[in-house]
Amino acid sequence: MRRPYVDARMSTPASRRPYADPSMLTVTSLSKRFGDSPVFHDVSLNLPRGQFVALLGESGVGKSTLLNCIAGLDRADTGSVHIAGTDLSTLNDDGCARLRREQLGFVFQAFHVLPHLTVAENVSLPLRLLRRHDEKRVATLLAAVGLQGLGERLPAQLSGGQLQRVAIARAVVHGPGLILADEPTGNLDPGTARLVLDVLRAEVQDTGAACLLVTHSEAAAARADRVLRLTATGIVTA
Amino acid sequence: MRGLFTLLLQREWRHHPWRHGVALLAVALGVALAFSVHLINQSALAEFSAAVRNANGEPDLTLRGAREGFDEAVFDRIATDPGVALASPVLEVDTYGQAADGKRVALRVLGLDLLRAAPMAPALMPKPAAGEDRLVFLDPGAAFPNPGASSLLGVAEGGTLKLQAGSAWLPFRMAGSTAAGGTPLVVMDIAGAQQAFGKLGRLSRIDVRLQPGVQRAAWLAALALPADVAATAADDAEQRVSNLSRAYRVNLTVLALVALFVGAFLVFSVVSLGVAQRTPAFALLGVLGLTARQRQLWVLGECALLGAAGSVLGLLAGAGMAAAALRLLAGDLGGGYFPGIVPPLQVGAVGTLVFGLLGTASAVLGGWWPARQAAAMSPALALKGLGTPGGSAPPAWPGLALLAVGTAAAFVPPLFGLPLAAYVGVAALLLGGVALVPAVVHGLLSTVSAAQRARLGALPLLALQRARFQRRTATAAVAGVVASLALSVALTVMVASFREGVTQWLSSVLPADLYARSAASGSTAEQAWLPPDFAARAAAVPGVARVLASRTRTLQLAPDRPGVSLISRALPAPQDALPLLQAPLPASVVRAGEVGVFVSEAMVSLYGAELGSRLTLPLAGVQVAVRVRGVWRDYARQFGAVVMDEADYRRLTGDERLNDLALWLTPGASAAEAQDGLRALLPDPQMLEFASAGELRQLSLRIFDRSFAVTYYLQAVAIAIGLIGIAASLSAQVLARRKEFGLLAHLGLTRRQVVAVVAGEAGAWVAAGTLVGLVLGVAVSMVLVFVVNPQSFHWTMDLVMPWGRLAALAGAVLVAGTTTAAFSARRAAGRAAVLSVKEDW
Repeated sequence: MRRPYVDARMSTPASRRPYADPSMLTVTSLSKRFGDSPVFHDVSLNLPRGQFVALLGESGVGKSTLLNCIAGLDRADTGSVHIAGTDLSTLNDDGCARLRREQLGFVFQAFHVLPHLTVAENVSLPLRLLRRHDEKRVATLLAAVGLQGLGERLPAQLSGGQLQRVAIARAVVHGPGLILADEPTGNLDPGTARLVLDVLRAEVQDTGAACLLVTHSEAAAARADRVLRLTATGIVTA
Repeated sequence: MRGLFTLLLQREWRHHPWRHGVALLAVALGVALAFSVHLINQSALAEFSAAVRNANGEPDLTLRGAREGFDEAVFDRIATDPGVALASPVLEVDTYGQAADGKRVALRVLGLDLLRAAPMAPALMPKPAAGEDRLVFLDPGAAFPNPGASSLLGVAEGGTLKLQAGSAWLPFRMAGSTAAGGTPLVVMDIAGAQQAFGKLGRLSRIDVRLQPGVQRAAWLAALALPADVAATAADDAEQRVSNLSRAYRVNLTVLALVALFVGAFLVFSVVSLGVAQRTPAFALLGVLGLTARQRQLWVLGECALLGAAGSVLGLLAGAGMAAAALRLLAGDLGGGYFPGIVPPLQVGAVGTLVFGLLGTASAVLGGWWPARQAAAMSPALALKGLGTPGGSAPPAWPGLALLAVGTAAAFVPPLFGLPLAAYVGVAALLLGGVALVPAVVHGLLSTVSAAQRARLGALPLLALQRARFQRRTATAAVAGVVASLALSVALTVMVASFREGVTQWLSSVLPADLYARSAASGSTAEQAWLPPDFAARAAAVPGVARVLASRTRTLQLAPDRPGVSLISRALPAPQDALPLLQAPLPASVVRAGEVGVFVSEAMVSLYGAELGSRLTLPLAGVQVAVRVRGVWRDYARQFGAVVMDEADYRRLTGDERLNDLALWLTPGASAAEAQDGLRALLPDPQMLEFASAGELRQLSLRIFDRSFAVTYYLQAVAIAIGLIGIAASLSAQVLARRKEFGLLAHLGLTRRQVVAVVAGEAGAWVAAGTLVGLVLGVAVSMVLVFVVNPQSFHWTMDLVMPWGRLAALAGAVLVAGTTTAAFSARRAAGRAAVLSVKEDW
């Protein structure tokens, strides 16, 4: 399926820049504890570019903490994370922030759109942070996620499904190399959830970005190229 | 419902004890300050009035003459009048007594016909000392001090009490005491007093008790009193005492209430923060069935409880402060109106209730806006974390109307002798300015077009759109800055203007090197005077180059008002001798039979003595017509002063005695040696008090600073409360933005960038508030300088802008506000913010 926004995208999105390392994300022997309680232990995974991977796991097994560690928002106790060949342990907090700004896109279960910005402004945030604001690209993306003409509305005027589509548009607008989606369909009805996954999948397919989808939903996981399961002893292929 | 309210309230207070503690303290402070000022004034006034009642007894009316008294022949007519049941003649003499250590003690001598005075004023009846005759009070050489005089004089019963008459000490035997409380008083036989103080055949007043059924007005009309005698009601004296300090008391009380007003802003900030934090809880309760009205009442109920608790604390603290102040300051709050009394604390139920209710009301007022916010929230949106939109543009008309009311009120003349309308004006200006902030902010934000918005970077866009969306919340924080800064600026400008005015005035009224006086007040000057040739003899003292002598007396122009000072001195060039407000009228305006005088500003406000007008002064038993040739500024005598050329004064009264000397020394002369030489001219060196121009200037400014100490304290409180308010408001906003910061962290903003954007936003808001606060403060200060002061104290001053201090004040608020926001943001943009994106409410 060809997406109309693909042609309007920035000329060299992060996901399409040439890298020596074909792997977008490499996690090696990652462990994390909170005090005496282990959160996850000896987690390793490899996510090549253009692959859509689902990560399943019981509640409390540490899926969100793992995502935070991958994004450089939290530090693991042992192990390493490489994003596009860059070892996060070599970066300070500001370096991690810059990496997130350029390479990562996030989608959350609770949408997290800013209530005081219009829909278009919410979508444009990553571009503005990179000083590459492009109104046409924002408009095209909004049309692609089915929100054409709603750019000037405030989030309070949209439904939950529409808000999640805004969040997805925001996550991909700057062409990130890695999309981290934390339960993006958890608050949505099956139809809207399917639509959201369609958008994510298309993004991966069209841009060569990698996507790590954390979910409880077997149905959502079924849309992935590969399904992994996070357990107390590490990651296993489901 | 009540159980749930109590449970959640307990949790809230236990969770944030410091925050509610600060709000409670603010209310308590305001109540304590206002209540203590009220108690001190009430206690001092009650004690002073009781002393006046004791000294005056309980007559139906009093016939009173001018200060020099009236012919005692009037008494014979009154005493034998069939309508009179009892008449008691009184001679009042303000003079000095000599204490055991040789120092002078100002006191009042009451010469009484004690057989007649006993039924009218039993408190004054002397108690003979052990061994004295039962009728010793008829002895013209016996004197009976009250406890106030005894403690200051330190002379034992049976000893010799010396009282000053002119420049001599007259000895009296202390043959007992009188129980009358209050200021220092000595009772003696009227004949002895007339003889000793040169008042033979003269009386100060006659206290009259009428026969039952006699109508006072009709009786007075039939009496045809002489021109120099007027009938006054028994309570006129008390009224006079009350009027003496009324403006000062009212101003102090208003200042104290200002603290309460500022405290309400702190309650507002703290409750706003509480409501912001509990938005999810309120939203949940809203979904579960709590109506908007119930949410509003909930918040108001919390405020009322906080206010009531703060009020109780404040009332207790206020009573304690008042008790301590009465012991330490003897009821004098810096104004010098109640000298020589140590009143006991008097707590009235009505005052307690009023101040308690005021404290509670201020807290409820402070919580009104957050309560409305709690009511206006949309539970469904709040649960989704989408907040409540800012709504339509706030109307500007309420703020404009309040500003118009404030401006108009500044032009209303005093009501009941007080600047009540001006106070209302100040409150209206402050509230109007604060009310206008949302509209001004809306106007400013509207100037950014959609096209300009599209070009903004992420951080400016976030700041701008947040300000538009949350303008009511943001303006709430700004309102706190506006209110506290405006108050501080107004007080700073007013005090600086007044102080500069006093400094300049002191320079113009103290041209000589050295000053000497025989009496500290106009009333004691009647008896403590220097002989007519003293000026010439003083001029001959080695080291003295020139002497300017003056005579000061007190004139009673209205029975219910404090006396007016009459100053007689040489006036060769009035424009050089007095700080005139405008050029004096030429001597030719004075018509035949009139005398030209120069009056202080208070004479204009209190007695209508405009430039060029004519009034009459009771002098030497006759009404003397005088023409006002000039009006001068006088910061020393609040109730009026008249300066008359000494030649005119002496011609009219024959009084050539002196009280004050201004002395110019020869270059290189020693002031101490000149003082010794001058003291040697008198039988007792203690009869002359000296001060250099520098000492007088220093003393005057010290008294000034003491009088305004409470305003410095209030400025500090206002600024502190304003800053705490900013901290609380900004913390509330930062807290509400935690998820936003979490999201921004995910999008790649560094923590420093988050802090920068919050500090920048806060800096812009606080700067706007500072600017509005400065403008409003200057407007309020103009009302204080040009309206409140003249209407309260009857003197004017020029507006002085202490730009350096204002800049420091504004800078401190700006830096403190921005730093507070940055600090809050640093905390809020930490790991907790990252985690907050997981919250689904």
